[in-house]
Amino acid sequence: MNLFVSEPIHNPAGEGLPDFTRADLVFYGVDHLGPSFEARIFLNCADANLSTPRDPEIGYAGSFTVFGHAGCAGDEGHCDVPPGPRDPFDLRPPHALSRQTKTVIVTDALRRVTDPELTVTIVPVRPGEAGAELVDSLEFDEFRILTYL
Amino acid sequence: MSTGAASPQHPTVPLRHRLNIDSMNASQLSDFRAAVQAAMAISDERGYNYHAGIHGYPLPISCDIAHGRPIFLPWHRAYLYFFELALRDQQPGVTLPWWDWTTDRHIPRAYDEPKVGEDPNPLYSAKVDPLARQQGERAGDVKGPMTTRRPGADGSPPLPSEEDIKKVLELPGFLDFTHQLENFHNNVHVWVGGPSGDMSDIPFAAFDPIFWAHHAMIDRVWRMWQLRHPSASVPATLLDEALPPFNMTVRQTLDANTLGYDYAVQAASSRAGTGQP
Repeated sequence: MNLFVSEPIHNPAGEGLPDFTRADLVFYGVDHLGPSFEARIFLNCADANLSTPRDPEIGYAGSFTVFGHAGCAGDEGHCDVPPGPRDPFDLRPPHALSRQTKTVIVTDALRRVTDPELTVTIVPVRPGEAGAELVDSLEFDEFRILTYL
Repeated sequence: MSTGAASPQHPTVPLRHRLNIDSMNASQLSDFRAAVQAAMAISDERGYNYHAGIHGYPLPISCDIAHGRPIFLPWHRAYLYFFELALRDQQPGVTLPWWDWTTDRHIPRAYDEPKVGEDPNPLYSAKVDPLARQQGERAGDVKGPMTTRRPGADGSPPLPSEEDIKKVLELPGFLDFTHQLENFHNNVHVWVGGPSGDMSDIPFAAFDPIFWAHHAMIDRVWRMWQLRHPSASVPATLLDEALPPFNMTVRQTLDANTLGYDYAVQAASSRAGTGQP
């Protein structure tokens, strides 16, 4: 996918909810087989796109950068992550392309969102030959917003 | 920031200090360039391309056990350690310089000049292993015979700021710290390489000579964090993990001083007997 816009989700920082000292936006199962790119994250800015500035006032919350493999140079199956649990006697390191977790600290950004619901928009950008461009390499399994007292 | 004792194997040998690339004097920079140049001329496992290839192509991509994982910092500390030793085999006394991208917001001059006098600058560009290029083409990642950069190209993430690193250094837990620092590390890679430069993707990044100065800075930030959080450490479950292909464990990387080095902003020295009477 390139642009990602979440369904509206419960805002854990909404009015009347407990205060927090830190908030994280955690992305699980992030793919890194493709090119490198930066995933710019916006809260309650569903129409964010390539030209949207990194302005906290319009919902910019931070970013994570995937340092990518830029493709697979091996034979067929080389970059396929084996499914399922590993054999307990298998002491080899995890597969090179096991998906990653990315945590973005969004404490200040989340404090600015007072609505009971919020949307998360991700704009994956990389430098292209003709300037900034969207990249079609954003893949992840799920995300969570976590607040901590 | 030099706090520890010298190597237990050589207790009378003082630590070596890695310096800011912008603070190196002409002699230090000349020696470092000579070491890199000499390593680039060697095609076996003592040479530059062998060490660069550990990180990426030719397969296997050994750093894959490190990126996005808790051993990111220990693995790269071991990597720098062995590369620095290989350079010292060519030019005794040299150390890896670091590029402080929080204050030096461009490619450092020492790496940005195509020539030094009449000769090519080995820090500007390096020859990429032909087998690595061949494998890159197979993956659809076509690279030229020499490394290139497109620093700060439109669409690049920003370089980390002093404030970014200050905040990261305040994080009390190792796992949190390394995760956030690795993301800033990723930003620098893409900022330097741009759309097609070697630093932008894992398989080719270490062929670019600036890779080592960037990672020395990352290692330095880890060292600073260790000094600020002396009671925090790597989780015990990771301590005895191996760091292949290096014959070291995570535990053996924790103290930079036992590896014989530290970081200094400036360094000056004088031998006994050379002073004024």
